[in-house]
Amino acid sequence: MNPVRQRPARPRTITSVPPGRSLAAMGRTIRRAARATLHLLVAAALAFGLYLFITVLLITAIGTVAVVGAWMLPETVLLIRRIAGAKRALTAAWTGRRIPEAYQPVTGTLRERLRTAVRDPGTLTDLRWTAASYVYGALLFAALPLWPLGLVVDGVWCGLLRREAVVLPLIARLADLEARWSQALLKPSPQALLAARVEELAATRADAIAAHGAELRRIERDLHDGAQARLVALSMRIGLAQRAYDRDPGAARKLLADAQDQAEEALTELRQVVRGIHPPILTDRGLVGAVRALAAGWGSPRSSEAESGGGLEVTVRVDGGLEQGPRAPAAVEAAAYFAVAEALTNAAKHSGSRRATVQLERVPRGLRAVVQDEGMGGADEKDGTGLLGIRRRVAAMDGEVTVTSPQGGPTMIAVELPCVW
Amino acid sequence: MRVMLAEDNALLREGLVLLLTSAGHEVVAVAGSGPEILPALLQHRPDVAVLDVRMPPGFRDEGLRAALEAREKIPGLPVLVLSQYVEESYAAELLGGGASGVGYLLKDRVGRVDEFLDALERVASGGTALDPEVVTELLTRRRDSPLDSLTPREREVLKLMAEGHDNATIAKTLVITERSVSKHIGNVFLKLHLPPSDSGHRRVLAVLAHLNDHQQKES
Repeated sequence: MNPVRQRPARPRTITSVPPGRSLAAMGRTIRRAARATLHLLVAAALAFGLYLFITVLLITAIGTVAVVGAWMLPETVLLIRRIAGAKRALTAAWTGRRIPEAYQPVTGTLRERLRTAVRDPGTLTDLRWTAASYVYGALLFAALPLWPLGLVVDGVWCGLLRREAVVLPLIARLADLEARWSQALLKPSPQALLAARVEELAATRADAIAAHGAELRRIERDLHDGAQARLVALSMRIGLAQRAYDRDPGAARKLLADAQDQAEEALTELRQVVRGIHPPILTDRGLVGAVRALAAGWGSPRSSEAESGGGLEVTVRVDGGLEQGPRAPAAVEAAAYFAVAEALTNAAKHSGSRRATVQLERVPRGLRAVVQDEGMGGADEKDGTGLLGIRRRVAAMDGEVTVTSPQGGPTMIAVELPCVW
Repeated sequence: MRVMLAEDNALLREGLVLLLTSAGHEVVAVAGSGPEILPALLQHRPDVAVLDVRMPPGFRDEGLRAALEAREKIPGLPVLVLSQYVEESYAAELLGGGASGVGYLLKDRVGRVDEFLDALERVASGGTALDPEVVTELLTRRRDSPLDSLTPREREVLKLMAEGHDNATIAKTLVITERSVSKHIGNVFLKLHLPPSDSGHRRVLAVLAHLNDHQQKES
């Protein structure tokens, strides 16, 4: 994605200027015309470069189609995508409005890449723009003669007669026109947007399935190594106690006491597994109650989590009638709960903060949860799986995660989950 | 008996050692991961190996693969494989060597200490011990087989036979005479078109081989 510099929209109509300020206005007009010319110059240079590129390419492609032609096609499409991307950025820099990009990824075998390169609606869009930009790339040549003319006419008009500049603003108009055409031409077709959306959904769905699989494996592993093993050990102790019962009642009693310990530990482990699958409190009290309980757990020194990570004073704020209104779907509540739990764990373990706030609110699109600490910030998404886990879980529900964590803090993790209430 | 034990879960390892020593066996070596198993077996040459299927480092079927490898390197080494779940195909792989001295049991069976020790001794002396669940799966998962022609009593006898029990135990379990056990077994072999066989593990293998063949033909 290309970075976009936001700039306030320029006034398109020029109103009458008080005479005293007309010189300043003239200065501004000239500066703006200069910027417009620069824009047109870059556009013309790009068009010219494209012209050369395509010509050379055509000659090469026709000359070597039997040898390397098939291989070159996807690469060429990728190159054109990059050029079109640069043009989108340039246009956006002038208008201040981002032009969305929608391409299908060119990957796989040569055959697959060829197919995607040819079939992607984005390729057609790019080619159409390439062809058109031969023509309107020449707008620069309309702008250049306006300069001497404008300086003379507007110099007299503005400088002597105290009127508004007339000719120089035309250059800016030309740049506007160029940008408008580029925008129209480079805007992805609805078909391409749809294809990109399908691509995105397929990716998040695959992520969701992968996350689900990993979750199931984790649960299986937890049960296998935990409760199941404890129950076997427990059964073994009871068996041994039975054997020892007549010969050595003291040993049997000891074995039975061990067995009871095992049974209790097996129950504890089962409880933890169940909590990992779907916290029972979420069923009983809903998201708000569950998050409040979670917050209280972090604050109390007896909580096992607090012991491992240090105490964290958590304030919970609830807005938007979340408490009285109907409850969000269970899957959304669970995703929000785990995101909040994970974010609080991160805050306690890594931020060095002693306090955090959780904000839960109902928004028009669905449910929003924000966790903010007072720590040192600088959270790195690549380190550790916490944030990645949140992202996966939320992406699976078509939601969004925003993480802001500047060096020096604080860290804020916002999760928005779309849902119908 | 000298026993080699491979189990990664400390709790179960400790329990099994306790159980085996209390029954008068000697645990000569303990392995906590898959790659340790074979060297320990080659070094100590135990009377029987008790192996967990899922072991580090991969937590997959390291124990089972070590058992198969060990039986190739040390022919006739009695191996009792323990697992928290039973998988029919694992049993087939274990029995694929066609040799005696194979056991495959759910870990749950360890709790019935006497039965477990009995099974262990059976395996160590060249017999077979198959978990009832494996046998049940083998007997119930196929349609359209000669098994359908067996009477319920004959099926019960076949099941116990496949688990590795001898005639006396089968008779005691089903509360019938050994003579009628022999009669039922004769009928089973006849109906499955198997050559009559003497007692012991060979007939178990004959039955299991038959069931396995049948399964492979189906799949």
